[in-house]
Amino acid sequence: MAEPQNATVLAEEIDAFLGRAAPTLAELDRDAAYPLEQLARLDGLGLPAYYVPREHGGRLESHHELFELWRAMSRHDLSVSVAHAKTYLGSVCVWIAGSPEQARGLAGAVLGGSRVGWALTEPGHGADLLAGELTAVPEEGGYRLDGTKWPINNATRGDLLTVLARTDERGGGRGFGLFLVDKAELAPGSTTQLRKVDTLGIRGVDISGIRFDGAWVDESALVGTPGGGAEAVLKGLQLTRTLCSAISVGATEHALRLTTRFAVDHRIQGRPLVERPFVRSLLGRSAATLLTAEAAGLAGCRAAHTLTGEMSVVSAVLKALAPTLADEVLGRLGDFLGARSLLTELHEHGAFQKLARDHAVLAIFDGSTPVNRHALINQFASIAAGHAVGSADGHGVAAATTLTAPLAPMPWRRLRAASRRGCSVVASARTTLPAVEAAGDAGLLALARYAVEAMDRVCAAMGDVRPSRQPSMYAHDLAQQYELCFAAASALHLWTANRAAAEGAEPWAGEPWAGRLWLSGVLREIARRLDPALCGDAPEFAPAWHEELDHRLVDWLVRAAERPGPITAFGFVQHLERSHG
Amino acid sequence: MADRASALEALLGDAWQETNPTGFRALLAADEREEQLAAATDALDGFAFHRELVPTSLGGRLDSLEELVAAMRVLWRRDPCLGVGYAGSSYLAAVHVWAGGDERQRRAMADALSANRRFATAYNELDHGNDLTAAAFRATSGPDGWELKGRKDVVTNLGASDGMVLFARTSDRPGSRSHSLFLLRELDLTSARLRPGPRYRSSGLRGVHLGGAEFLDYPVPADALLGAPGQGLEIGLRSFQVTRATLPAMFLATAETGLRITLVAAEERRLYGAPIVALPYVRASIARAAADLLAADALCAVAVRALHLLPAEAPLLAPAVKYLVPRLLKDVVDTLRMVLGAQSYLREGPAAVFQKLARDLAPIAFMHASRTACQAGLLPLLPRLARHSWLGTDPAPGEAGLFQPGAPLPPMDFTALGLGIPRTDTVAATLAAVAEQPGGGLPTRFAAYFRDELARLRDHFASLAPQDTTINASAAVFEAAHRYTVVLAAAACLGVWRHAGGGTASGLGEDLWVSAALDRLAARLPGRRPATAEERAGLEEALFRQTVDLHHAGRPLDLAGRP
Repeated sequence: MAEPQNATVLAEEIDAFLGRAAPTLAELDRDAAYPLEQLARLDGLGLPAYYVPREHGGRLESHHELFELWRAMSRHDLSVSVAHAKTYLGSVCVWIAGSPEQARGLAGAVLGGSRVGWALTEPGHGADLLAGELTAVPEEGGYRLDGTKWPINNATRGDLLTVLARTDERGGGRGFGLFLVDKAELAPGSTTQLRKVDTLGIRGVDISGIRFDGAWVDESALVGTPGGGAEAVLKGLQLTRTLCSAISVGATEHALRLTTRFAVDHRIQGRPLVERPFVRSLLGRSAATLLTAEAAGLAGCRAAHTLTGEMSVVSAVLKALAPTLADEVLGRLGDFLGARSLLTELHEHGAFQKLARDHAVLAIFDGSTPVNRHALINQFASIAAGHAVGSADGHGVAAATTLTAPLAPMPWRRLRAASRRGCSVVASARTTLPAVEAAGDAGLLALARYAVEAMDRVCAAMGDVRPSRQPSMYAHDLAQQYELCFAAASALHLWTANRAAAEGAEPWAGEPWAGRLWLSGVLREIARRLDPALCGDAPEFAPAWHEELDHRLVDWLVRAAERPGPITAFGFVQHLERSHG
Repeated sequence: MADRASALEALLGDAWQETNPTGFRALLAADEREEQLAAATDALDGFAFHRELVPTSLGGRLDSLEELVAAMRVLWRRDPCLGVGYAGSSYLAAVHVWAGGDERQRRAMADALSANRRFATAYNELDHGNDLTAAAFRATSGPDGWELKGRKDVVTNLGASDGMVLFARTSDRPGSRSHSLFLLRELDLTSARLRPGPRYRSSGLRGVHLGGAEFLDYPVPADALLGAPGQGLEIGLRSFQVTRATLPAMFLATAETGLRITLVAAEERRLYGAPIVALPYVRASIARAAADLLAADALCAVAVRALHLLPAEAPLLAPAVKYLVPRLLKDVVDTLRMVLGAQSYLREGPAAVFQKLARDLAPIAFMHASRTACQAGLLPLLPRLARHSWLGTDPAPGEAGLFQPGAPLPPMDFTALGLGIPRTDTVAATLAAVAEQPGGGLPTRFAAYFRDELARLRDHFASLAPQDTTINASAAVFEAAHRYTVVLAAAACLGVWRHAGGGTASGLGEDLWVSAALDRLAARLPGRRPATAEERAGLEEALFRQTVDLHHAGRPLDLAGRP
C-alpha cells in the first residue's frame, strides 16, 4: 500500500478517481457485481489508514476527516462507499473495547487491506440485537460459535468479522460477547457462507450471511468481557450512526450536482431551466437542505471527540435526520428530472436512479429511522432535564463547532451507553443569539429566535412524555422535531464559531459561507418543518426575501456544480491543513 | 362492473399463490428478466382485455370510465408493468382516437383493439420533454399522404406495438396550431425508412419496453391524420384530460398492494419480543398510509366522475390529480418502507414485491406529464376561478352524482371535452357547504379550515396578472397552486363523505376515514392543523383497526371498502 496521504489530498484523489469511474460503476450495478477493483484502488490510495486510530499505527485522528472521506466516496457511488466504509464499522468495537494486542493485530490487518464485517443481525430479529440466538459457549480455551448471521455487509468478502454472540443463555444486556473472528483461522467446514441477497440498491455490495456450526475460536478472539458485547456494540453504533450522515450528505450532493447541470444545460421555451424562478427555488431549497444535514453531521462527528459522553443522543439524531432529509431532496429532484431520474443508461450513466435506489438503504441499515427515534425517545427525560436547567458543556460545543480548532484524539473509553447530561449542542444554542443579533439581519434574527424558542418548547414537550417500552407515535413525531432542533443548533453554533475565520479566508471568500446566507437558508428549511402547533408560528417573509435568498444560493451552486469536490464548502479543504499543519 | 373486475381477478388467480403462473412470484421473475409476463398478457388477450378500452357504441365494453378504472385496477394491483405496458399504452392511444378521430378511424381503432392489437403513443422527444409546442419531429404532406421525419425517444412500446398515435410538427410557425396527430394503424418495423433505436433500460417498470425510433421520410397514408392539420395539440390536450384524470386512479391500486404487503409483514415480524403490529408507530404509520390512500382515492373518484358529469371542469381537475396523487402515493410507499424495514429493500423473500412496486411507482410522477408540468398547467386557470367561483355567491352547477362513486353515469362523450378555462369549481364549492352545516363534528371543523385556506388562495390568485402565471411565475405562485390541489383533495373527501350520509349520523365510524384523510392533507399546508395531537392519536388508532379488519375480511382498502 502506498504511503497514506493527507486527508484533504486523499479526498481530492478519491474525487478524481471515482469521477472517472462513473461508466464502469453503472455497469457493475447493472450486473450486480462487486466493485472489487475500485475498492482495491481506494486501498491503494491509503483510505484504510483512516479507519485505524493513530495510536495503533493508522491515521484516524478525527471523525471530521472520516466524514469528509466517506462523503467524497458517496458523492460518486454508494455501492463503493458502503462496501468500503464497512471495514470501519466492523473494526470500531475493537478500538473501543479491545485489548491493545487485539487492536494491534486488527490494525495490521486493516492497513494491509483486509476487509472487516460487523456480524450483528440475525434472520427474523432485525434491529433487536438482544434477541440474537447465535451462541458462544466456552470450550477448550476458547469458544464454540453456533448460529447464523444474516444479512451482513461483507459476510462473504470480509476476511474478519466481529460477531455478537450470546454468552449467557438467559441473554439480556450483559449476556452477549463480541468476538473478532479471523475466518482464515476457523476449522474447515465449521462455517457456511450464505449466498448474497438480492437488493433494491447497492446491488453489487456483498450483503450475504454466514452460518457457524461449532466453529471454535481462541479465547483471545473475545473483545472485552464475555458480558460486554452489547455495550461495546451500542457504543460503536454511536460513532457509525453519526458517520452515516456523510453517506447521505454525499448522495444528496451527487444528486444536486446532476440536477444543477441538467437545469443549466436544458432549455425550455428558449431559456435554460435554471433561469426560471420555480427551478431556482427548488435548487436553492435543496442546497439549503443539504447544508442542514451537513451542519448537523459535521457538528455530530466532531462532537464524538469533544462531547463524547453525549453521543447516545447525537447518533440517534443523525441517523434519523440525515437520511430523511436526503430522501426528501432526492424525491423532489427526481420529480424535476422526470424520465432522466429513471433511465439506467441515459443522463450521466443513469447515476440518478442508482443513487436514489442506493440511498434508500440508509434509512434502514445500521438502525432504521424508527429504531433511532425509539432510542432518542428513551432519552427524552435526560435531554429535557438537561435542557431545562441549561446544562451544557460549553467548551465541548465550541470545540465541536469551531472548524479550525484541532480535535483531540478520540477518547474511546469515554463513550457512554446513555448521555447523562442530555445534549449540550441544543441546550446551549441560545448563547448564539447575541452574535446573530449583532449581525443586524432582521430576517435571520427572527429565524434564529424562532428556532431557539422551538428548542425550548420541543424539549418541554419531551419532558412530559412518560417512558414506555412502546412509545406513542406522538413521541416519534416529537423525536423528529428534536432532530430538526439539533440541526438548527448545529448551524447556529457553526456560524457563530466560524464567521470570523470565514471572512476573507479561502475557500469561503466570495462564497455564501462567508456571510449569513447559508445560515438563513438552513434555518428557513428547519422552520418549514417545525410543527407550529408545538413551536408557534414561524416568521413569515415577503416573496422577494425568498427569491433573493434562492437566487444567491443558486448562483453559487451553479459554479460549484462544475467543479469536482464538495458542493458546499463548509471548508473541509484548507482549514484541515491549517489545523493539522 | 364489480363483476368484470371479479372476473379479471379470477382469471389471473390468487397473486400470492406460489405456483400461479400469473402470480407475484412469476411477475417478480419477469421483472428480473426485464420482460412483460407472457402468461399474464396471454390470459388478458384471452379475455379480450382491449375491448375494455372500446366504447360500447363501437362494440366494446367501455360504458363508464369509473368502470374502466375498476377493471384496470385489477392489473395495477398486481403489476404496474401490465398496467402501463399491456393496457395503459393502448388506452392512451385509443383515447386520442375517440377524442379526435372521425367515424371511420374510430371504427378501425375499435376493430384493431378488439383483435388484441397494441398501440403506442409517441409524443416524447428527450430534448423537449413536456414542452410539446417545441416538438421537432416533422410530418410533410405529399401527393400520396404524409412523410414522417425525426426521432421519438423513451416511448412506451415503441418498437413493440402493432400501431401508434404520433405527434408531429406540420408547420414551421411557433405556437399551438403547428402540430398534428397521426394514427398509424400498422407500423412496418422492417421498413428501411424506420430505424428503431435501442431499448431504454429503466429502474422502474423494467418489464415495459421503452423504445425510440428514427423516422426517415417514413410514409403514411393521407387518412392517417386525426382531425385537421394543426389540430394535434388541441386533440392531445383534450385526450390528456381523460388520461391524466384516470391513470392516477389506476396507479392507486399499486399502492394499495403495498399497504397489504405491509399489513401481512407487520403481523408476522417480531421485534422486542412481540409482533411489530403491537408497536404504536407501526399502527400509526399504517393508518397514515391508509389515510393518504383514501385522500387520493376520493380526489380520483371525483375527477373521474367529473369527466362524465362536468366536462367543462376537466381542464382543472386532470392536472390537479396528476400533480397531487403521485405525491400522495410516494408518501404512502415511503411511510410503509419504515414499517417494513430491511424487507422493503430485498428483491427476495415474502415482501419482495414491495421493492418492485416502489420502483414501479416512481415513474408515475413524470410519466405522461411531469408533476411540474401539471403544476405549471394549473397556474393560468386559477385567477379566473379566484375572481368568479371560489367562495363566491354564484351557485355551482349541479353536483348531482359527482360525489357518489358507483352511482350511474351518463355515457362518456369524448367529444364534449373542451379547452376553455373553467369558470366554475364545483368540487371546491363543497367546502363552504359543509363548513356551514350546523352542529358538525371534526369533519366540519376541517371543512372550515380548508375553506379558510381557499379564501387565502382566492385573495392570492385574484391579484395576479396573466404574466404572473406563465412558466416564469414566482415560486410563491407555484407553491400556491400546490396548496390549491391539497384543498381540492380535501373538498373531494368532504363531498364524498357528505353524500354518503356523513354529517347526519356522525359517529366516529362514519367520520373516521374522512377525518384521518383530512388531517394528513392539512399537514401538507403551512401553519397549524385543526386536529389536536390527542385527536390525531385517536383517529390513527381507529383507522388502523378498521384497515386491519378490512384486510382480514378481504375487502378493498380504498374508499370502496369503507363503511
